[in-house]
Amino acid sequence: MHIPFCFHKCHYCDFYSLPDSPTGINGPAAGSDRQSAFVDRLLKEIRFQAQRYTLRPRTVFFGGGTPTLLEAELWKKILETMRQMGLLDDVAEFTVEANPETLHENLLTVLVQGGVNRISIGAQSFNVTHLKTLERWHEPASVTRAVTLARKAGIANINLDLIFAIPGQTPDDVRDDLSQALHLQPDHISCYGLTYEPNTALTQRQRAGQIQPVDEEIERRMYGLVRQILAQTGYEHYEISNWARPGRQCLHNLVYWENDSWLGFGPSAASHVQGRRWKNVPHLGAYISSVASAPVADEEELDVNRHVGEVLMLRLRLRAGAERSWLNALLRDDHARWDKVRDLERLGMLAWRDDHLQLTEEGLYVADAVISQLL
Amino acid sequence: MNIRNFCIIAHIDHGKSTLADRLLQRTGAISERDMREQVLDGMDLERERGITIKASAVSVHYELEGQKYLLNFIDTPGHVDFHYEVSRALTACEGAILVVDATQGVEAQTVANAYMAIDANLEIIPVVNKVDLPSARPEEVALEIEHVLGINANECIFCSAKTGQGIDELLAAICKRLPGPKGDESAKTQALIFDSEYDDYRGVIVYFRLFNGRLKVGDKVRTMGTGRTYSITEMGKFMPKMVLQKEPFEAGEVGYMVAAIKTLDDVHIGDTLTLDLYPADAALEGYREPQRMVFCDFYPVGDTQFDALRDAIERLHLNDASFTFAPQNSDALGFGFRCGFLGLLHMDIVQERLERESNVQLVQTAPTVTYEILLHSADGTDRVVQITNPADLPDVAAVREIREPIVKVEIITPNDCIGDLMKLCEARRGIYKSQRYLSETRQILDYELPLAEIIYDFYDKLKSFTRGYGTMDYALLGFRADRLVKLDILVNGDRVDALSVIVHRDKAEYRGRALLKRLKEKIDRHLFEIPLQAAIGGKVIARETISAMRKNVTAKCYGGDVSRKRKLLEKQKEGKKRMKRVGTVDIPQEAFMAVLEPGE
Ligand SMILES: Nc1nc2c(ncn2[C@@H]2O[C@H](COP(=O)(O)OP(=O)(O)OP(=O)(O)O)[C@@H](O)[C@H]2O)c(=O)[nH]1
Ligand code: SF4
Ligand SMILES: [Mg+2]
Repeated sequence: MHIPFCFHKCHYCDFYSLPDSPTGINGPAAGSDRQSAFVDRLLKEIRFQAQRYTLRPRTVFFGGGTPTLLEAELWKKILETMRQMGLLDDVAEFTVEANPETLHENLLTVLVQGGVNRISIGAQSFNVTHLKTLERWHEPASVTRAVTLARKAGIANINLDLIFAIPGQTPDDVRDDLSQALHLQPDHISCYGLTYEPNTALTQRQRAGQIQPVDEEIERRMYGLVRQILAQTGYEHYEISNWARPGRQCLHNLVYWENDSWLGFGPSAASHVQGRRWKNVPHLGAYISSVASAPVADEEELDVNRHVGEVLMLRLRLRAGAERSWLNALLRDDHARWDKVRDLERLGMLAWRDDHLQLTEEGLYVADAVISQLL
Repeated sequence: MNIRNFCIIAHIDHGKSTLADRLLQRTGAISERDMREQVLDGMDLERERGITIKASAVSVHYELEGQKYLLNFIDTPGHVDFHYEVSRALTACEGAILVVDATQGVEAQTVANAYMAIDANLEIIPVVNKVDLPSARPEEVALEIEHVLGINANECIFCSAKTGQGIDELLAAICKRLPGPKGDESAKTQALIFDSEYDDYRGVIVYFRLFNGRLKVGDKVRTMGTGRTYSITEMGKFMPKMVLQKEPFEAGEVGYMVAAIKTLDDVHIGDTLTLDLYPADAALEGYREPQRMVFCDFYPVGDTQFDALRDAIERLHLNDASFTFAPQNSDALGFGFRCGFLGLLHMDIVQERLERESNVQLVQTAPTVTYEILLHSADGTDRVVQITNPADLPDVAAVREIREPIVKVEIITPNDCIGDLMKLCEARRGIYKSQRYLSETRQILDYELPLAEIIYDFYDKLKSFTRGYGTMDYALLGFRADRLVKLDILVNGDRVDALSVIVHRDKAEYRGRALLKRLKEKIDRHLFEIPLQAAIGGKVIARETISAMRKNVTAKCYGGDVSRKRKLLEKQKEGKKRMKRVGTVDIPQEAFMAVLEPGE
C-alpha cells in the first residue's frame, strides 16, 4: 500500500509523495479532505482487485510516503475494511513504515488493534549534521521515543533504516550510528549506501558541486564496517542491504527477491503477478479521479530470456544465493549463462557454498557489474 | 546551339553551391516553389553538414542578346579530400568559375583548385562572392587573385550568391568569355565517363561528356578501357531533374545514359565510350586512380554479423567507388575489412553512411597511412612491399627500411602566425621549403611533412594557431625512409594488433605513454585489474594499470524498483555489446581512435 504523503521531501528521496500534514498546513489542497478522498479510492481499488484475484496475502506492507501521516480515523477505516474482507486472515507479517516524528501513542493503538505487528522506522542517522545533509527532518531522539512507544504498544518486531556514505560522514560516524541503533535492539536493520537517484535534490546539489560524494574506497570501508559490526552483534546478513536477528527476516521483502507475486495499491504502487509487472500512475489526482482499476503507467511481461535474467538479478541479492537444483531448473542448458557463471567464479565474484551459488564478499561490492553479466 | 561547359570551383564554403542555386534560378531551371538552399546538395549528409561531398552536373538553357545557350555546369566540393572529384569535373569542361569569398580572400583550396584548372587549360572566370557582407573587401580580394594566380583583377566579377547581385553579369561572361566545345560531330564517337551513380532500379547511371561524334538511344557502345559493350536504353540531361532526351547527343554535350550496367566496377570512371561498330582510334586521356591517403579497419559489433557488414560495404561502394575495401583478419578483433579513403573526412562519411544507410554497428580502428617496406630476403635480394596496416609489418629482422608518405603542404596564414606554424611543422618533422607573400597581411608557407603527422589534428592546430584564418592544402610527393618503429600495445597481456602504430623512434616513448594514458581513460574498469603496456619489438617501454572496479552496487531493490533496475543493468550490458572484446577486456570504439591523439 503506497501512502503518498510526507510532511517534507527528503533530498535523497525518489519515491512518489506529496507534501501533506493532518492539519492541512501545506495548503488548501492538502489536509484531511484529500486524505479521506485518497483512502476512499484506495479501498475501492482493493475491492476492485479482490474481484479479480483471490486476496489472501501472507504479508502486508504499508509504505510510501509516510503512512503514519494518515489520520488515525482513516487508518481505522482501512484496517476495518481489510479485516471485514478477510484480507488479514492469513497474514503473518504486517508492516507499517513510520517516520519517527509522527508515530504517536493513539495511532499505535489503532495499528496494533488492526493487526499491525511490525514497524519500520526511518532512522537514517543519529547525527544531526548528516540528517541535515539528507534534509531529513526529525530529531535523533525521536527514534528512541518511537521505538519505546512501539514496544509499549505491543509491536515485537521493529526495523530501523540506516543510511551510510552520507557526504561528510566518516567511518567513525558510521560506527557511531550503528552503536546507537544497536542500543535500541532492533529486530531488523536495513542499512543502505546512499544512492544518488536521478531527479532528486541530492543529485542536483551533487551536480552543482555543493556536495561531494564519499570516496568509493571509504564507502567500501563503511560497508565492510557495517557488515562486521552487525555480524558480531548477532545480525544475519541476508540481503545486500538487510540484516536480521534469527527468524526476523522481512517476509514481505523476501517476496520480491524470491520473485513471488504481489499486488500493490495506491499511486505509483507496483504489482507483480506471475511474470506480469505493472505500476500505477504516480499521480494522486489521476488516481483519485479514476474508476475501477487504477491507471497503469508501465506494464511488461518479459520474454523467457529477460525473465531468467530478472529472476537471477533478484535472487543473487540474497546472501543465501541460488540453490543448485533451483538454478539447474532455471538455467537448464543456457550455455551462455553457465559460461558466464564460471567466468565470474574464476574472477572470484561468485562462489558455491552449501550447494548455493552466492556473491562472494568481493562480489558484494560490485554486485551490479556481476549481475549485469548474467542478464 | 551554343554550348558552354564549365565547373564551379572554390575553397570550401566560399559559396559554390549557393551560386549554383542562383544560376538555376535565373535560368528558370528551378521554380521558386522547388527552390531550397544548396539544392544540388541532395544527400542527407551534405545537407546536415552543409558541405558538398559529390560533384553534381546540371544543364540549363539561357538566352542572351537573342542567342540561345545550353549551359552545362558542375558544382564541385571544396574540401581537400575531394580534389579528385574536382579533377574529374575539370576534364569535362572548357571553363571554370573560380569563386572566392570576399571576406576570406584567397585560401589554400582556392590556389590548389585554380592551378588544377589552369593545368587543364580551362578558361577561368574569377568571381568575388559574398559582396553583400559588411566585412567584404572585394577590391583587395581581386588583387590577391591577380597576385597569386596571375589572373587580371579587372576580370573579376563581384557578386552575391545570396542576393543575386552580379549574377546577370556572370551569366553574360559565361556566354561571352568561355569558349564553346571544339568537338567534331562527324568524327568517330568519343565520350568521357566522368562520373557514375548507382540506382536500385536502373543499375549504373553513367555521366558522360561527349567530345566527338554523336550518341543516341539504341546505340551499342563499347568501353575502350575494359572492352565491354552495352546498348543504350535511356539518355538524358540533368535539368536538374533527369529529363529524357530523344534527339541524338552531339559533340560538346553533357548528359547521362542508362545501359543495363549492373555494377560500378563494370564501367571505370575516366574510361572512354565509343560506338561498337565505328570505334574511335584512341581513347581520351582518362584519370589516374585516386590516391587513398588513409586506411582503417571496420569490424562488426553488437548484433551485426560479418556478412551484414560486407553487404553494407558492397552496397555503399556502388555509390562511392573512391574508397577501397578488402577482407581483413585481426588476431584481436576477428574478421572485418581494411578500407582506404581519400582523407579523414571521407572516412568519416563512409563510416556514417554505412551505419545510417545499412543500419550496421561497427568499430573502426584508427586511420593510418601506407608504408613502403624495404625487405632484405634470405637470398640476398631486396624488394619493396606496401603495407596499409602497422600490424602487417614483417619481422623486424628482415626490414631494412620503413618509408612513409611525404606530402607537400601549402599553408596560407596571416603574417603574425608564421612563427607558431613553423614551430608546429618542425615538431611534426617538417622540412621548410619556401615562404612568399600573398598580400600585405598574409603569406603562403610551403613545407614537406610526413602524411602521418598531419592526418589527425594538424589542421585543428593550424586553425587554432591562426584564429581560424589559416588554411592548408596538401598533395602526395612520394615515400621517404625515416627511423620508424612499430609500437605494439598489450592489453591484459594480449597484443592488440589493431592498436599497433608506426611512429618515429624519437617519439616512441612519449607516444607510448600518452597512448596508454588515453587508453586508460577510455577503457572502463573491469571486475579485474588490467595492465596496459606499450612495447617495441617485445621490449616494454611504457606501462599503465586500469584498477579493478571497486564499487558498483545498487543499495535498494524492492518491488517497485525491479523493472527499472533490470533495465539499468541491461543497459550496462548493452553498452558492452557495442565494444570489441579482446581476451576478457571490452574495448570501446573511442579506445581504438585514442591511438591518434598525440596528446601534445
Ligand atoms: N552572405 C552571403 N553568404 C553566402 C553567399 N554565398 C554563400 N553564402 C553562405 O556561405 C555558406 C557556404 O555556402 P555553400 O554554397 O554551401 O559553399 P560551398 O562553396 O558550396 O561549400 P562546399 O561545397 O562545402 O565546398 C552558406 O552558409 C551560404 O549561405 C553570399 O553571397 N553572401
Ligand atoms: S519520508 Fe520517506 S518517502 Fe517521504 S520524502 Fe522522506 S524518504 Fe521520501
Ligand atoms: Mg557546395
